[in-house]
Amino acid sequence: MTLSETAAGGWSGPARRLHPFTILFAAIDVGRRFLLPAIIGGVSAGDEVGEIVRWALGLLAIPALGVAIAKYVSFHYRLAAEELVIDSGVLNRKHRVIPLSRIQNIELRQGLLQTFCGVVELRVETAGGGGETEAVLSVLDRHDGELLREELLARRRQAVAEEHVSLTGPLLEEPSATLLAHLSPRDLALAGATANEAGLIAAGLIGVLQFVDRLPSPIPQPLRELLLPWRQEGTLGVVLLLLGGVALLLIVGWIVSVVGSMVGYHDFTLERTGEELRKRYGLLSRRETSVPLQRVQSVRVEESLLRRPLGLASLKVETAGGAPGQGQRGGAEAFLPFARKGHIDRLVAGVFADLDYSAVRLRGVHPRARRRLIVRYSLRLLVIGAVLAAVAGRTGWLVLGALPIAFGLAHWQYRNRGYGTAPGYVVARRGVFNRTTWVIPERKLQTLHATQDPFQRRLGLGTLAIDTAAGGRVARIVDLAHAEALAFASALAARVPEAVREGDRRYRARVGPAAGAALGSKRG
Amino acid sequence: MPDAEPLPDVPASPARPPPIASLDGVLRPLDPRVIRLWRLIGLIEVGIICAAAAAVTQWLQPPIPLPLLLAVLLTLGLIYVALRPPSRYRAWGYELRPDDVVVRHGVWWRTVSVVPYVRIQHVDTRQGPLERMLGLATVVFFTAGTVGAAVDVPGLALEDAERLRERLALLSGADDAV
Repeated sequence: MTLSETAAGGWSGPARRLHPFTILFAAIDVGRRFLLPAIIGGVSAGDEVGEIVRWALGLLAIPALGVAIAKYVSFHYRLAAEELVIDSGVLNRKHRVIPLSRIQNIELRQGLLQTFCGVVELRVETAGGGGETEAVLSVLDRHDGELLREELLARRRQAVAEEHVSLTGPLLEEPSATLLAHLSPRDLALAGATANEAGLIAAGLIGVLQFVDRLPSPIPQPLRELLLPWRQEGTLGVVLLLLGGVALLLIVGWIVSVVGSMVGYHDFTLERTGEELRKRYGLLSRRETSVPLQRVQSVRVEESLLRRPLGLASLKVETAGGAPGQGQRGGAEAFLPFARKGHIDRLVAGVFADLDYSAVRLRGVHPRARRRLIVRYSLRLLVIGAVLAAVAGRTGWLVLGALPIAFGLAHWQYRNRGYGTAPGYVVARRGVFNRTTWVIPERKLQTLHATQDPFQRRLGLGTLAIDTAAGGRVARIVDLAHAEALAFASALAARVPEAVREGDRRYRARVGPAAGAALGSKRG
Repeated sequence: MPDAEPLPDVPASPARPPPIASLDGVLRPLDPRVIRLWRLIGLIEVGIICAAAAAVTQWLQPPIPLPLLLAVLLTLGLIYVALRPPSRYRAWGYELRPDDVVVRHGVWWRTVSVVPYVRIQHVDTRQGPLERMLGLATVVFFTAGTVGAAVDVPGLALEDAERLRERLALLSGADDAV
């Protein structure tokens, strides 16, 4: 039952107020800001000035509460046919009109106390640099909040489709939800544990510390001679103490990461509902966000060094105008913080329905890339060795012993680079420590840049940057043959107009006949 | 695309950049007057650097006496002003293809940008004071992209710039939201 069918008031009717509990929360806020310092001050201070300040704070609480009540009384919101209208302000009246078609993201938030009281906070974001919050309705009755969100989404769909057509079509039917992912507490614990390398380093350090007191005997003679000056000055003890402290910090950080993940993303559910992706998560503070699929510019699959052998990854979507929710915790950018490798193609298909991710074959970049990387890493090691030699004497050159590691790293980087295509999509991959795979639909491609630095020129290599309307990390194919970069750029650009037309056609078919034929070709 | 063997290397001759693959012929050059423009700007820059060096030596002791320092800076500057603009000119090129526009530039750091017409949001022409003096203009096209969202083609004769802008505006059609 949509809200437009409810009897009392209805959404097209008169303006509504927020839930009366708003006053309760405002009162709590006032208490926190005025009364608490007053009470605490009373306990500790005893002098005259302190007394006066205490009483002043206590008395100020009363008008502050009055202002909060006045704000509540003066706040009205109304859902018109194509806009959300908000009137607020006691002395300075503010009249804000938000066109529904511009809404990027609608979020429902519930803190612990709010859950207990059965209310939610509704936040609306619009497109445009960073997706700042346009409007906050705090607090609404939970049921009302959910219904309002559904209504906003339904009307936004319609408004977007009808933007260029003057006639009004029938209200679109409520689409069904497809569950894409649900994370269990065990999943979340694993996600928190592998979220960063801190745990690995901590474990490694603990292992080293275990063996530290056994060090004196098995160290070979020349190495002991090197360490001798340090031991004589007692610096070895200091170093060990520092290491111990760092290890402790890392362990604590790791535990916090695990617990934080389990609480912050509790009961994580990801659904595709018609033209939106919806996430629900959180234990103490429950959140619901939705991202319109039409705004998604690309999907990024990130596999960190720690997660790759475990077959885990993190999925992110990038939307136009930067990632909405940037600056917020757990915004829409990370659309699934944790995924098992086997499910990735199903999840990618949840965003790009016509892509078979598992069938994509990536080709490698030019073998000369490896040569270039080896040279770069070796040079860096040489520089580090020279600096250390200048500072610490002959032993500085020991760092050159890491050359084989540099060679291995260069080879590994080379092997992890690749690019390929699927019908309607381009895929690029690079990175060793955080291997990232970009999946970009042809209909979202912007400009293609093929660049060459002087060293690449000498080797006949080049870099191809694939630009989209989203900020964040740009997809780059580094060190492929330059001629190939040009040919690929040319081929991709040639496919863009048709891909955009086809994308619009399919969107109109999905969204309904009310859309009309006036969708522009620029629509991303 | 099928898996391919790595392509054989394509050595780039430093004198002339290679033509873009699948493009008929070489790219259109800029107006030759732009060399004069860049030389003029270069001379002004050299002048500023020399003036700054002279000013700084009021406080700091230069490693070599001031007249010699100025002579060195001036010589280097003049060589730079003489040699760099023509090689920049040779590196610049653009072409209007059936579905996109290609712009190439850069002497040491080469860049080739391919911008599909459907992605161009709007097109500007710009003229700095020196450009106006020489009858030149720069055309800038804006996309919704983030890396190099504005692609520009400098040093076009004013009439050519206007024509290019009109043609691009026609080809890219009406503006719309992403």
